[in-house]
Amino acid sequence: MASATLYSVSYDLSHLLLGGIASVFPDPLRAWISNGNVITGLAVLIFAALLLAASMLNTILLIWWERKLLGRFMDRRGAMHVGYAGLLQNFADGFKLFRKTTVQPREADALGFFTGPTAYMVTSMILFGVLPISSGWNSGALPLSLLLALAIFSFAPLFIFVSAWSSNNKYSLMGGMRSAAQMIAYEVPLLLAVVAVVIVAGSFDLTTIVYEQQNYWFWGPLFVALVVFVAGMLAEMERIPFDLPEAEAELVEGWNTEYGGMLFAFFMLADYLRSLIGSILVVLLFLGGWTMPSWVPSAATSFPLAGIFWFMLKTYLVFAVFVWIRAALPRVRTDQLLRVGWNRMIPLSLLAVFLAAALVTVKCVPVFGCLPSPGI
Amino acid sequence: MSEMWINMGPQHPMTHGLWNLRVRIEGEVILDVDPEMGYLHRGIEKISEDRHYNEVITLMDRTCYVAGLAWEHLYMLAAEEALHIRPPERAQYLRVLCEEFQRIASHLMWYAAFVQDIGLMSPFLYGMRDRDLILDLFQSYTGARMTYEYMRAGGVRNDLPPGFTDRARKVLDWLLPRFHEYDQLCLGSDIFHKRCDGLGKLSAEECIRHGVTGPMLRSAGRKRDLRRDRPYAVYDQLDFEVAVADGADVTGRYLVRMEEMRQSVRILYQVLDWLDRHPGPVMADQLPRWLGAPYAPVGREGYLLKRNYPKGVGFSAIEEPHGEALAYVVNEGGEHPYRVKFRSPVFANLAASRHYLVGYRVADIPPIMGSVDVCVGEVDR
Amino acid sequence: MSDVTATEKPDENPILWVARPMATAARQFAKSLFRPSTIVYPYERLEDPKFRDRLDVASGKPFGVGQVWDNYRGVHALNIATCISCNLCAFSCPDVCIDMVTTAGSDPKHPKKCPQIDYGKCSYCGFCSDACPEGCLTMTTRYELSVSKRSDMIYPPERLFEVFRSKLPMNPIRLARPENEDAILLDPPLCIGCNACARDCPTQCITMLDVPKPEAKPGEKLPKRIWKEPVVNDSDCVRCGTCISVCPKECLFWGTRK
Repeated sequence: MASATLYSVSYDLSHLLLGGIASVFPDPLRAWISNGNVITGLAVLIFAALLLAASMLNTILLIWWERKLLGRFMDRRGAMHVGYAGLLQNFADGFKLFRKTTVQPREADALGFFTGPTAYMVTSMILFGVLPISSGWNSGALPLSLLLALAIFSFAPLFIFVSAWSSNNKYSLMGGMRSAAQMIAYEVPLLLAVVAVVIVAGSFDLTTIVYEQQNYWFWGPLFVALVVFVAGMLAEMERIPFDLPEAEAELVEGWNTEYGGMLFAFFMLADYLRSLIGSILVVLLFLGGWTMPSWVPSAATSFPLAGIFWFMLKTYLVFAVFVWIRAALPRVRTDQLLRVGWNRMIPLSLLAVFLAAALVTVKCVPVFGCLPSPGI
Repeated sequence: MSEMWINMGPQHPMTHGLWNLRVRIEGEVILDVDPEMGYLHRGIEKISEDRHYNEVITLMDRTCYVAGLAWEHLYMLAAEEALHIRPPERAQYLRVLCEEFQRIASHLMWYAAFVQDIGLMSPFLYGMRDRDLILDLFQSYTGARMTYEYMRAGGVRNDLPPGFTDRARKVLDWLLPRFHEYDQLCLGSDIFHKRCDGLGKLSAEECIRHGVTGPMLRSAGRKRDLRRDRPYAVYDQLDFEVAVADGADVTGRYLVRMEEMRQSVRILYQVLDWLDRHPGPVMADQLPRWLGAPYAPVGREGYLLKRNYPKGVGFSAIEEPHGEALAYVVNEGGEHPYRVKFRSPVFANLAASRHYLVGYRVADIPPIMGSVDVCVGEVDR
Repeated sequence: MSDVTATEKPDENPILWVARPMATAARQFAKSLFRPSTIVYPYERLEDPKFRDRLDVASGKPFGVGQVWDNYRGVHALNIATCISCNLCAFSCPDVCIDMVTTAGSDPKHPKKCPQIDYGKCSYCGFCSDACPEGCLTMTTRYELSVSKRSDMIYPPERLFEVFRSKLPMNPIRLARPENEDAILLDPPLCIGCNACARDCPTQCITMLDVPKPEAKPGEKLPKRIWKEPVVNDSDCVRCGTCISVCPKECLFWGTRK
């Protein structure tokens, strides 16, 4: 299984299933079912289902992880009742939300009100198809997968604004405005920080970026880029200290004030999906993805699915840092956030790009060592 | 964005209770505010007229649900003056014990709500956790965690249980380093200063003009504390300082409240030492029969007609955790007060909100209103 | 920034923008990772003996229970056997949530009335148990009252008796009676000797004693009455005022006995 990939698993499953089904039917039908195209088609479906299941499961686990961690930060235990240590609590919450009626405000614009959350959710989930999880566990070697991921990632403000506008609520509107302003302000430093990584790695392909980190992970030499990227990610994920669009103290619930039941669950899930993707991107770009440094004993990196194991571990630890920030810091104000974004983050990210360029020119740095194949 | 009115309340996370802040904004800038109170009006003053003197304290606990004992103390001071009763000294010390513990508990509750307003998540739980220790102490001698019903005309209901003072000292020992922890989470954070410095300015002159008292006045540098300026109970025998800051802003109010908690701890150590050394009665002797401890009021007309009560008027003013609270009790003879009137400090603080909110941003409303420490129960009474 | 009249405090200025709060949160996390301050409520309870003597605050254990728990004012317990039906609890209730109702199984000719408490109204102030002269109505530490029907919030005397029998810790505070309490006095000329007070006195501390029937002077008509007068035994009297309320002539009143 060590060499199993997402594709091979899907195809194997497809073969297995269709082989079983085909044996029941008489010949012409059997031949058609055993046709390669049908097998491929089913494999693609299985592939998508696997991705969906993995993303949903991880999202819900992430919520559990945050609740438990936040609980300990707050000197309490977090969810304890449903399932072992509250593992199933989020499923219970989800079922509760799915059973609830979706209330549509009378003056709300139905089209935007319903498509907004759905599109927000869907665009967040599409991202999962782009990101590699381990060697072979991705949807294909897209040469521009990083660019694609960030492009899809920045769809969100549009849909947030659509749903906020169509809620016809003043708080929603203000939340939507803030959300749009904030995401646009932080998109620029975020992308510039990514550019620093791209300069060093010499590729927009996430898999390549990960393999470029075999000598040392990028967080050390590109620390400035990491700081800018994490700050930008916090703003994009709308987490404290940058959760102004849904600052509950002043804006009730921000742009999802009017949403309840299923649609609120969409927003909630999509938020955590984006958090998960943010953590994954940090791991991929700065923490070596699924690879481990060479001093780690090979037994720890060669067991089946070791790559996925290390990758998920890193992802959850990165998210733990986000939770830590949430536990310790207050929320900033919109104008301060924007001022920090335009006045501090963009110069910082330019500095990061400059440092990356310097790194590529020098090729080797004293503490870390040399780049395997210095980029651009 | 053009101008618009938004209703912050009566059900809004910022309000901490039932009141409505109508805000006229342009973009995010506040142009005008209009506080609306009255959603929680229960007619406590009127109900009091129909109740036996001791029964009124069940209402006092509900007047301000985070500082019940302070309001019991306020009412009892006025009622005793009206009834010409003087409680024994130990009862007065016990009342000070109650009030100071209540001040810490109330400020901790304020801290929890305030940090929640600026988006700090975990200190909310820390504040509530440490307040719970004080509630445990309250439970150990009053019998309840929130609605204490502890004070009676002429003293207090019962003495402290054995071992109480040691437990209380343990709690105080635990609390002092916690205050430092709170400061680190707030004052040690650059974001906190960004959010709170220079916000909600209200100068001392304006405070006085609008009747704003308590930590808001002291944060403007005016050293006014009724415990020191108009000592009631046994405050003149206790050693403490009045907490003052000079910012007149949200940070200043934060500093004042934090310092007040430290000073309360200081007072409490003295009170606990005194209580250890001076056992004695906690209820005045020579009470009218219907105020005696285990008795129920018997409000029958035949009874009333045959009694001839002394008449009187009582006034009291205490430094409640939120500010200066006043009470006025008229005793026209009879078992019920003829008229009871309270002055709630938060009402005045809220009513002046136009003067410290206009010009700031919508995002500044929660920290500013949080720093006022709104307790709607006593605003609306 | 602001000069506070401070006791000595450690430095609290920001380091590296946010390093201090992050460190504080991490410290708290490390502490509560092993021992959070909460308990898992439905499974663990503060009144559990396990938590009873834990007063060690600094370790973050639940604090404040132990022997002090007994003072808690929760659901009432009523000992029907010692209840004298004096009505004082109902009088003293500020919420008027106590009704005196006939207990099941009492003699229909002389029904025994005991308090019935509506917990939908009760404010747990404890005035009733303070007022109870016999100590039969006390407050226990029971605090869980959730019911699915509103009518279940009304506890008849039998149910309060069940609480009593469950041997929960009772609120131990008993208030002493003041020394200068008023007594029931009689206005002799008004009395008609009807025995109503002695009949209804819950403690039977009133006895009807004969008074000499005066000689009727010529032309004077003696009042039409029974020549007996109530005498109150002050040490047994609980000052419930039942006699005053049943007196048809309003000849009993409160006063200081000379």
